[in-house]
Amino acid sequence: MLAQRRAGENLAKGLDAVCDKAVGLAGRMVPRQRQFLERAKRIVALEERFTRMADANLREQAAQLRDVFRCGRETPAQLELAFALVREVAARQLGERPYLVQITGALALEAGCVAEMATGEGKTLAATMPATIAGWRGRGCHVITVNDYLAQRDAAWMGKIYRFCGLKVAHIEPGMSSADRRTAYWADITYCTNKEVTADFLRDRLALGKCRDLSSALLAKMAGGNIGQIDRLVQRGLHYAIVDEADSVLIDEAVTPLIISGDAPNPEQIETFTQAAKLAAELDSERDYRFDYRYREVELTAVGKQHLDELVEPLGGLWKGIRRREEMVIQALTAKELYQQDKHYVIDEGKVVIVDEFTGRLMPDRTWRDGLHQAIEAKETLEVNLPKDTYARVSFQRFFRLYRRLSGMTGTASEAWQEFWQIYHMPVVVIPTNRPCIREYRMDAVYATEKSKWAAIVEEIKQGHETTRPILVGTRSVRASEHLSQLLREEKLEHEVLNAVRHAEEAQIVAGAGGAGKITVATNMAGRGTDIKLGRGVAELGGLHVIASERHEAGRVDRQLFGRSARQGDPGSAQAIVSLEDELVQRYAKHLSGSLCRRYGGSNSNVSSRLSRRVFHLAQRRAQRMALRQRKGVLRSDDWLEEYLGFAGSEL
Amino acid sequence: MPVDRPTFSESWYRVADLRPRLRSTVQIHRQYFRGQMWHVVQDPTNNQFFRLNDSAYHFVALLDGQRCVSEVWYICNEELADSAPTQGEVIQLLGQLYAANLLQAELPPDAEGLFNRYRKRIKREVQGHLTNLLFVRIPLFDPDHFLDRWVGVFGNIFSWYGLAVWLVLVGTGLYFVAGRVGDMASRAGGILDPANLPYLYLSFIFVKICHEFGHSFACKKFGRSDGSGGEVHVMGIMLLVFMPMPYMDATSAWAFRKGRTRAAVAASGMYVELAIAAVAAMIWAKTASPIAYNVMFIASVSTLLFNANPLLRYDGYYILSDWLEIANLAPRSRQYIYYLVKRYVWGVGRAQNPAHTPGEKFWLPVYGISSTLFRVFIVTKILLFVAGKLFIVGVILALAAVVAWVFVPLGKFLHYLGTSGELARVRLRAVVSTAAMVAGIAIIIGLIPAADRGRIEGVVEPSRLAIVHMAADGFVTDFMSSEQKVSPDGPPLLKAQNPDLETQLEQLEARREQLRVQKRLAQTREVAGTQILSKQIAALEEQIQRVEDQLRSLELHSPLESEGIWIAPNIERFKGAFIRRGDRVGLVASLDDLFIRATAGQEVAARLIAEAKGKYGTVEIRVKGRPDMELRGNIEKILPAGQERLPSAALGYAMGGSMATEPGDEKGIKTAARFFEIHIEPIVSEGAENRENVRLFSGQRVIVRFETPPKPLMVQWYRSLLQMLQRRFHI
Repeated sequence: MLAQRRAGENLAKGLDAVCDKAVGLAGRMVPRQRQFLERAKRIVALEERFTRMADANLREQAAQLRDVFRCGRETPAQLELAFALVREVAARQLGERPYLVQITGALALEAGCVAEMATGEGKTLAATMPATIAGWRGRGCHVITVNDYLAQRDAAWMGKIYRFCGLKVAHIEPGMSSADRRTAYWADITYCTNKEVTADFLRDRLALGKCRDLSSALLAKMAGGNIGQIDRLVQRGLHYAIVDEADSVLIDEAVTPLIISGDAPNPEQIETFTQAAKLAAELDSERDYRFDYRYREVELTAVGKQHLDELVEPLGGLWKGIRRREEMVIQALTAKELYQQDKHYVIDEGKVVIVDEFTGRLMPDRTWRDGLHQAIEAKETLEVNLPKDTYARVSFQRFFRLYRRLSGMTGTASEAWQEFWQIYHMPVVVIPTNRPCIREYRMDAVYATEKSKWAAIVEEIKQGHETTRPILVGTRSVRASEHLSQLLREEKLEHEVLNAVRHAEEAQIVAGAGGAGKITVATNMAGRGTDIKLGRGVAELGGLHVIASERHEAGRVDRQLFGRSARQGDPGSAQAIVSLEDELVQRYAKHLSGSLCRRYGGSNSNVSSRLSRRVFHLAQRRAQRMALRQRKGVLRSDDWLEEYLGFAGSEL
Repeated sequence: MPVDRPTFSESWYRVADLRPRLRSTVQIHRQYFRGQMWHVVQDPTNNQFFRLNDSAYHFVALLDGQRCVSEVWYICNEELADSAPTQGEVIQLLGQLYAANLLQAELPPDAEGLFNRYRKRIKREVQGHLTNLLFVRIPLFDPDHFLDRWVGVFGNIFSWYGLAVWLVLVGTGLYFVAGRVGDMASRAGGILDPANLPYLYLSFIFVKICHEFGHSFACKKFGRSDGSGGEVHVMGIMLLVFMPMPYMDATSAWAFRKGRTRAAVAASGMYVELAIAAVAAMIWAKTASPIAYNVMFIASVSTLLFNANPLLRYDGYYILSDWLEIANLAPRSRQYIYYLVKRYVWGVGRAQNPAHTPGEKFWLPVYGISSTLFRVFIVTKILLFVAGKLFIVGVILALAAVVAWVFVPLGKFLHYLGTSGELARVRLRAVVSTAAMVAGIAIIIGLIPAADRGRIEGVVEPSRLAIVHMAADGFVTDFMSSEQKVSPDGPPLLKAQNPDLETQLEQLEARREQLRVQKRLAQTREVAGTQILSKQIAALEEQIQRVEDQLRSLELHSPLESEGIWIAPNIERFKGAFIRRGDRVGLVASLDDLFIRATAGQEVAARLIAEAKGKYGTVEIRVKGRPDMELRGNIEKILPAGQERLPSAALGYAMGGSMATEPGDEKGIKTAARFFEIHIEPIVSEGAENRENVRLFSGQRVIVRFETPPKPLMVQWYRSLLQMLQRRFHI
C-alpha cells in the first residue's frame, strides 16, 4: 500500500507516445490468439492426469503447486499443470469443466491482456484459473465485477473452487464495517466492485494523511507517532486485478472520479442557486444566450449580459461580481437547456438522481460537479443540497493504472484496443466462441425523422411478435424506453420495460427475456452480465431478435446489445433502426446529417442508403476519437497536478 | 465549462488546508509596466524570476504560514471581487511557485519531487545545449566578491560625472576620426585579412571583457542604489559559433524597480565599448596602429550592429523591452501572433489575448514579425559561413538547424492542429485555412512561373580601334590629353619636333638653292650641264619632300575616318621625351561601334546556352554608377569556356567585380576558374546618338541583365541551392 504511493507512470509524451503507439500496433501483429489456443490445447491434454485422482490427492497436488507459486519459481509447464488442475476442480465442484476457449481466455488474463470473450461464454469461470494462481502467489487478487450483486454471487459460486485449492475467498459489499473489509481484503481472492475497491483505497489514503511513502511511514513509525494510522488501513496493496466488463470500467467510466466528500460550510449559497434558476428562466434563448449541444456549452451574448445586469440590480450580494454572476447564470442555463429530466437524470423521492448516459442506469451516489447538481435541483424546484467538500478524489483510470498487474475481460474490447494499450498497456486478445456464432445481422434501417423511426420499430416488433419470437429493444435513455412503452401500449402489445431498477431484479427480467412471445424494452446495458436463455422452442423460430433504437457513441455498446442474441451457438438476429434526427449524428456529424435531412425532407419512408449509413459510422468514429482524447487529457492534467502540487502531498 | 475563468476547481481540496508561505529568502520587487503594477519574485540563490500580477501578488502576500489557502482565497474574494484569482488560478500559481522552489509548506519536503525537478531541469538544459550548439554557455567563476570590492572605483563610470567624461571622450574620438572617414572606410576591407585575424580576435576578447564588466559593475552600482542587491554570480565562456567569448550573468538587474535603471544596465556594456572605441580612435589617428584600428572597429561597428540590434537577443533587445515597458517582449510577441492567427484565421472564440494594453497590440506583432525574419536571415548567414569553413560540421549544423527549426516546430504544429482541445470545434476551419495557405504558397512558389533573371558583368569595348604609332622620331612638344573625342581633321593628337630633320631640311633646301644657282649659271655657260643639274635638283626636292613629310608626320592625327576617342593613358610621360619612329603612343577607338565583353561563370553561361536554343535574346544593360541609364542589347556570341584572363581587371574580385580571381595574381585578371566570354552588341535606337545619357563609353563597367523563360520560383531556388553547394563544396 505504502510502496505504491508513487506508482503509475505518467502518460507517454511526444516521441515516446508515438513510439509507444507503434509498439502497441506491432503487438497487434503477434498471433496471441493462436499461441494461447495452442497452450490451452496442451492444458486440455493434461485432463487425463487428474480425472481419476482422488480429491485428497488433488488437494495435495494443489498445495504443492501453491508452494511453487508462492516462491515465484513456477515454470511454464507448472502453470499449465495448475490450469489443468483448477479445471478439474471446477468440473468436480461446479460440474462445469471449462472449455478450450475459456482456458484460452484464462491464459490471456494470466498474461495481462484484455480477453474479448463473447457474452455467455463463461467469463466468470475463466477468471477462476488466473485468480487461483494469483491467490497462490499470496499477494492478493481483486476480481472486479460490475455490481455488488455479481460480486456476491460470483464469490459464492466460484468460492468452492478456491476453497478446494486451499484459498480464502471473500467479497466486499456496501455497508460492511472496516474490520470486515480488512478481513475481506486479506483473503486470497476478493470479489468487489470498482466503486468499493476505489473508495476503500481513498479512505486508506485519507487515513495515511501526510505519510508520503514507505520510507516516511517507516520513519514515522520509528518516531512512534503514527502507528495508529497505518493500522487503520483496510487494503493491503494493489497487486493484481481481473476486471470484468473491462471496457465499461476502464473506458466508459474511466474519467468518472470517485470522491470522498463531506459537507461544506457555507449555507448562504442555496439561495443563490434558486435565484440563478429564476434569472435563467427570464433570459431568452438566441437573444440572450446561445447553447451548443455537442460541446455542452452555453454562452451569454452581449445583449444577454446587459439584460442580466439589469435583472440582478435589486439582488446585490454575490450578484455584484460580474464574473461570479455570469458563471452562476450560465450554470443555471446549462441545467435548463442541456440537461433533461429522464434523459440525464430522474427525480427519485425529491432528489435528482443521475442517469448514466452510457448504461442508462441510475447513479444515486453520484453528483455533478461545480454546482451543476445544485443548479438542476433549483431548476426542478427541489430542495437544494449543498455542494460537498472534497476530501479525496481519484478517477478509475488513474486508480487501475496503479495495479502492478492488470487484466480484463469483456464482450467487446477490440474496438478500443488503442485505448487499452495507450492507457493501461494491455493488449487485446479476441477469444473465439465455443460454438460458431450464427447471428444474422441486418443492415441498419435509416429513417429521416424520429417519428417515422419509432413507427418502424413498432411495426417491426409487431411483425416479429406475430411469429412469437422474443424481441429485445435497446434504447439509450429512460425517456426513450418510456416513449416506446407508450407506443406499444397503444398497439396493445404486452411488454416489459427495464430501466434503472435494482440489479438483481433487472437480471431476472433480462434472463427471462428469451421466452417465446416476450417483448422487452431495455436501456442499453440493463442487466449486463446476465445471460438471456432462450425459452422452449424459441430456437426453431429463429431465436432472439434484437432491435437497437439508436446507435451509441461507442460501437462497442451497440455490439454488446446485439450480442444478447444468438449466444452459444443459438440462432438470432439483430438490427439497428435509426433516424437522422438521432442525437449521435446531430452531435457528431451535424453538417452531413443536416444536409441529408434536408434532402429527404421529412419523408416517412425508409431512407437507408450507403451514404446515410456511412453518416452513422462517421459520427461514431468521431465520438470515439473525441472521447479517447478527452480521457487522455484528463489523465494528463492529473499528471500535471500531481507534479506541481507536490507540496500538497501526493493524491495517490 | 463554458466560463472563461471558472471560480471553483475540483482539485481545490488538495490545497485548501495547506498553510504555505514564500521562502524567507525570496525577495520581491515592484515594477511598473505600461501603468500596470507587477511584482517580480526573485530567488537570490539562483537568480530565478517570477512575475506576478497585482491580484496574484495580493494572494501570495497574504500567505503567511498561519492562514490556510482557502482562508486567504476568501479574503481575496472579499477584497478584490472579480479580479481575485480563481481556485484554478491559485492552484496553478502555487504549483508554479512550488516548482520554482519558492514555496515552503508545513509538510515534510518532497525530496523525490525535488530531485525529479532537478533532473528534469538538467535534462532540459542539456537538450537546450544540444539543440543550440551555436550558442553554448559554460559558467566558470563567481565574480560577485571581486565586483563588490571594486564597485566603489569602477561604479563611478556610471555616475553623472562618468557620463560627462564619457561624452567628452566620445566627442573627442569622433572629432579625431571625422577628418579621416575615407581612410577609415578603405581600411575596413582589410580587417578580415587572414594575417589580421589573430589580432582582431584578441582585440575582440579584450573589448568584450570590458563590455561584460561594464554590465556587471553597472548592475552592482544600480543594484545598490535600487536596494535590490544587483548580484552577479556567474562569469564564464560563451561559445558563439564555436568562438569563445566571455559572458557574465547580470540578470539580477531584472529585479530593479525602474525601467530606466534596467535599461541602463543593459546599455552599460555598449557604453563602455564606445568609450574604448573613442580612445582607440585617438590612438589610431595619431599612430595609425592596426591594433588600435581593430579595437576601434570592434568596439564601435560590431557593437552597434550586434549588441545594439534589438532584433537579436542582446543588449538592444533588453533596452527596447524596458523602453517599451513590455516584459518578455520576444516570447509574448510570438504568443500574440499565434493569438492573432487563432482568433482571426481559425476563429478560436476563446483564445487568450496576451496583450494587456493597446500599445502592446501594436508593438508585439511588429517586433514578432521583424525579429523572426531577421533571425531566419542571420541563422542562414551563420550556417553558410560555418559550412564554408568546415564542410562536415556545417552540414551537421545545417541538418540540426533544419530539424530544430523546421521539422520539430512543424511536427508540433501538426500535432497541435490535429489534437489540440482548443481547436476542437474549429478544427475543420483551422485545417482548411492552414492547408489553403500552404497550398497557396506552394502554388505561388512551385507552379506559377516567375521571371527568371540573371546578371553578368562586362566592360564596354570599341569594336574598331586604331593604334597610333610614331611616324618619325622626335621630341614631343605638345599632345592631347587622353580620353578626348577626336576626328581626323581636328586638332592633332600629338606634336613633336625633330631638330635633326629640320636641320636636314634646311641643309637640303640650302643645297637646292645652290644647285638652282648653279643651274642658272649653267644655262648661260654650258647647256649640257643644266640637264644634270635639273636631275640633281629633282632628286633633292624629292629628298626635301620626304623630310617635310616626316616633319609633318610629327603632328599625329586620328587614323579613323569617323569620330573616335583618343586613348593614351601614359601620354603625360611623353612630354618632352624622344620617341622613335614606330613607337606606340596610344590608340583611337571608334565611338559609334561599341560592344560589351561580359564574362560569366559556367553556371550562368550554361543557362544562357541551354535556354537560348540557338538564338540569344535581348538583354538589359545597366552602367555601374548610372542607374538611370537604360539600354538594351543583343547577345552576339558566346565564346566557350577556356579563358582564364579577364578582358579587364575591373571584372575581377580584386577590383570589385564579380569574377573570382587567383589570389596570387597581382594584376587581378587571372581568374580562379575558366569562364565564358559573352559578346553583346548594344542596340542603338533612333535619334539616341546625341543624347548624352544613353551613350556607352568604352571602358565602362556594365551589368547585363538577361531573362530566360519564366520558371517557378521553387525551380529557380533549387537551382541556386545546387549551384551554391557545388560552388562552396566542390561536389
